[in-house]
Amino acid sequence: MKAIFIAYDQAYKERIQTLLDRGGCRGFSMFPQVQGRGSVSGDPHYGSHAWPSMNSAILTIVDDARVDALLDALHALDLETEKLGLRAFVWDIEKTI
Amino acid sequence: MSLYEGSVKRPIMTSLIFTAIVVMGVFSLTKLPVNLFPDIDTNTIMVMTSYSGASAEDIEQNVTRPLENTLNTVGNLKHLTSRSSENVSIITLEFEYGYDIDDLTNDVRDKLDMVKRALPDGATDPIIFKFDSDMMPILLLSVQADQSVNGLYKILDENVANPLARIAGVGSVSIGGAPEREIYVYCDPVKLEAYNLTVEAISNIITQENRNIPGGSFDVGNETFPLRVEGEFNDPREMENIVVASVAGSDIYLRDVAEVVDTLQERGQMSFTNGVRGATIIVQKQSGANSVEICNKVKKMLPELERNLPSDVHIGMINDTSESIMNSIGSLEETVFFALLFVVLVVLFFLGRWRATFVIAITIPLSLIASFIYLLLSGGSLNIVSLSCLSIAIGLVVDDAIVVLENTTTHIERGADPKQAAIHATNEVAISVIASTLTMLAVFLPLTMVKGMAGMMFKQLGWMMCVILTVSTTSALSFTPMLCSQMLRLKKKRSRFMERVYGPIERFLDRFDRWYQRRLDWCVRHRGWIIGVCVVIFAASLLTVRTLGTEFFPSSDDSRLTIKVWMPIGTRTERSQQVAEELAEKWRADFGKDTRVINYTVGQASEDNTFASMQDNGTHIISYNVRLKNPSERKVTAFDVAAIIRADLGARPEIDRFTVSAGGGAGMGGQSTVAFEVYGWDFTETDNVAKMLRTELKKEPGVAEVRISRDEYQPEYHVEFDREKLARHGLNMSTAATYLRNRINGATASYYREDGEEYDIKVRFAPEFRTSIQDIENILLYGSQGNAVRVKDVGTVVESFTPPTIQRKDRQRINTVTAIVEKGFPMSTVVEAGQRIIREGDIPLGVTVGIAGDFEEQQDSFSDLLLLGLLILMLVYIVMAAQFESFSDPFIIMLSVPFGVGGVLIALWLSGTTLNLMSALGMVLLLGIVVKNGIVLIDYIRLCRERGQGVVKAVVTAGRSRLRPVLMTTLTTILGMVPMAVGRGEGSELWRPLGVSVIGGLTLSTVLTLILVPVVYCTFAGGQIKRQRRKHARQLALDAYWKENKSKHIKAAKK
Repeated sequence: MKAIFIAYDQAYKERIQTLLDRGGCRGFSMFPQVQGRGSVSGDPHYGSHAWPSMNSAILTIVDDARVDALLDALHALDLETEKLGLRAFVWDIEKTI
Repeated sequence: MSLYEGSVKRPIMTSLIFTAIVVMGVFSLTKLPVNLFPDIDTNTIMVMTSYSGASAEDIEQNVTRPLENTLNTVGNLKHLTSRSSENVSIITLEFEYGYDIDDLTNDVRDKLDMVKRALPDGATDPIIFKFDSDMMPILLLSVQADQSVNGLYKILDENVANPLARIAGVGSVSIGGAPEREIYVYCDPVKLEAYNLTVEAISNIITQENRNIPGGSFDVGNETFPLRVEGEFNDPREMENIVVASVAGSDIYLRDVAEVVDTLQERGQMSFTNGVRGATIIVQKQSGANSVEICNKVKKMLPELERNLPSDVHIGMINDTSESIMNSIGSLEETVFFALLFVVLVVLFFLGRWRATFVIAITIPLSLIASFIYLLLSGGSLNIVSLSCLSIAIGLVVDDAIVVLENTTTHIERGADPKQAAIHATNEVAISVIASTLTMLAVFLPLTMVKGMAGMMFKQLGWMMCVILTVSTTSALSFTPMLCSQMLRLKKKRSRFMERVYGPIERFLDRFDRWYQRRLDWCVRHRGWIIGVCVVIFAASLLTVRTLGTEFFPSSDDSRLTIKVWMPIGTRTERSQQVAEELAEKWRADFGKDTRVINYTVGQASEDNTFASMQDNGTHIISYNVRLKNPSERKVTAFDVAAIIRADLGARPEIDRFTVSAGGGAGMGGQSTVAFEVYGWDFTETDNVAKMLRTELKKEPGVAEVRISRDEYQPEYHVEFDREKLARHGLNMSTAATYLRNRINGATASYYREDGEEYDIKVRFAPEFRTSIQDIENILLYGSQGNAVRVKDVGTVVESFTPPTIQRKDRQRINTVTAIVEKGFPMSTVVEAGQRIIREGDIPLGVTVGIAGDFEEQQDSFSDLLLLGLLILMLVYIVMAAQFESFSDPFIIMLSVPFGVGGVLIALWLSGTTLNLMSALGMVLLLGIVVKNGIVLIDYIRLCRERGQGVVKAVVTAGRSRLRPVLMTTLTTILGMVPMAVGRGEGSELWRPLGVSVIGGLTLSTVLTLILVPVVYCTFAGGQIKRQRRKHARQLALDAYWKENKSKHIKAAKK
């Protein structure tokens, strides 16, 4: 089991959910309003006067086998629309109940 | 779920809600009445009291004064004027606008109840009248009749007036100038005397003979029959055979002593249209009825009615209120349409995309149509104020939609899905869209609070703009994002057609952006220069104020002229008519090709003609109605024609005085007047001052005409009876006077009935026996014993003058000198000239001269507007300061306001327009419009700085980025106003100053906003940074000192 944390521009909302559905990831937790900025480039997403756009984030725990396919799909989406901003991070899950 | 998210996610609901609004708006539009001006509540109440037998001065002292003293205490009273003439006192109370006239009437009634007992015994109870603009006639028809003049009254009454009066909404239809049939028994006084007869006796005999008397019923066998004596004359000539006396056994018939003439009224009004005798028909509407609708119904009915008339009777139109209303409304509708077209073109020019242009353009009809719902609900009408409001609004309503669309496009270009882009992009700009609408509301809401005349005009405009702007903002936050999400797509490739057409425009705009960026970069580095140049431009614009004339309300050419000519008092109708015809003939030759109708009426109106007797009439008064062709069909204006007419009238020495009124049929928009009110007790002194003013004013350029309100003393003959002598002959004043009246004016003996109509039978002296003073002196009076005595034996006939009507204003005697301002001259020149004449002239002690008329209204309205302007400035500042959370930024934005004012002045100066109520309104509107540009610019500069850019970089980047939106919103507003400013249709004079001032002000202030606002921002921000640096340096020095001396201070504290 691995945890995937996806931080993305709000405008991606529906497309990301479609990707999760297609990738067979049923469970996830979503944070609709998340502030943040990229480490290298891209506009900050603060929801402020200067930087009005906002991010959302999804934390999903999936089977190891599904991770690569999902990340590839997310990467393709990011490349398609670079200016919006989309990042995903994966780490191990040690225990669940 | 927010408004925009909801509407994007439920497109069907959103579009149907707005469809419903449009459907209701269109429905309201069909139900809206059409008028020239918004309903102006009446603000005048008249109190009429009669006290028969009292002279003007008695009336003034015993009736008018006590009434005035009490009525003066009624609240909200603006002016109290009165006219005391023989037998009658008329007091007019003029109230401030905006109060319920019914409440005021009750107040007046209460006060009258209090004072009633103080009035003389013989005075009647005061009667209250409410003056109503609805009493103005809405249609004036001319009737030409070659052959049928004699029967014209009856023909018109039966076939035209009665059917017209049956139309719903028509108040009354009166016929003027068509004399009524009357049967005169003209007696020969010599013969009467010979047979010992009197006018009264003959009159009595005729009454006795002309009777139908029922004689009861009687039974014949089984049946009962009524019995009647039918004595009424079947033909007037039957009267000739009445036996009036028996002298020496032989019968004396009426034909022996008198002549029975079946003819027309002796003293009637005569009406001529284009040189042909005829009549005029006056149609008045019921209070509150729709003028245009009634006029249309009447016009539809006329051809039908004309078919029933004799072939020589033709009905024409002299005055049709509906036509000028429809023409004005029509030219304004055209203006609105062109404004719409221009705005759409501007949007297309800047955006270069059909779909985006459609999304924006659709908000225009949406918000405008929604305002019709408001109009219907609030009982408003389609008039020039509400329509010019639409024209102003067209350029403003698209602004919000443009901002939303632009941001959505940016999001889509970044790669967002249109639906999400629409939601998030709208979310980002919602606050600033609402804030900019609030600034506009801060301008228009105070407009609804203006009092006075200006308030009546602007109330509707204020509310309508508020409604339109609120609807447009709501639509920009719901309908526009929905349409964006449905219609906008990421354009990956442009079609070749668009590439070819729009490519050059886009390249031009890009070059323009870069050019502006370089200029701005230079400007912010040469701040002192730029600020200096701007101050010079502003100062130069203020210089034009000196040459700019002012007036109250622009005068408008409504193709109508009314002229009144007074011949010397006592001129016979025939002579007046001759002069009238000569003048009319000359005018037909001079400007006949530009006129449709020249109609005039002369003579004394009969007592039973209500409308005519309300007007000034008399044998010596000529009233003309001239109707010109539509402004587009002629080269001369109504004011030019008025000038020619004035010259013609002035050149004829036999004319005593005249008035020529051009334009402004509905009470507003006529030529401006300046009234000089001469207050003073003594008639001679005030008369002299008034005459001096008239002579001096006439010499001034720009004065077309001068009128004096106080009439001349009227010559008349008095019969002064000696009471003792009367008594000796068994007579008294009343009987003697009645004898005189019956002989000169005639005694109505009876009525002659024919075809259901009644005609007066009047017995009087034949005309040839009442033409000289001797004739009057020789009239025989009969005492109680039947003894006869001549007038000259019991009294004398003397010539005398009756004092004129005594006019008072605010409880002082007044004589008003009214100067009419020539078209093209500002009212202010006449006011200045008048003030100079008053200063230099020799005004006796106890006489004061004040200035009123349009000038007073202008002063009131201008001070109202000035106050309003200050209020608006404060409100706008508050809204902006709240939005930016800063005191200095709104101040910088407001720097564009003075340039807006400067631009207005320059534009007025260049176009030769005067500063009047409409151009002042334009200035007030500008307060809101010009700061909008500043807001857009400053907002983006702040954004750039928040993103970490330096001051100069932020200013230049923001300038370049906001150039297009600023130009786009400004151009939509300016081009939306262009049709207004250059319109040439009927009534366009009214709103042209508004268009000119908004265009001028907005152009100058936008150009300067784009340069000055960034420059001043840099100066302020630079100052701020310097202050911060100094503060920081002080802090550092303090810290260093603290570090060094820390131990000292702490130890000291311990001790």
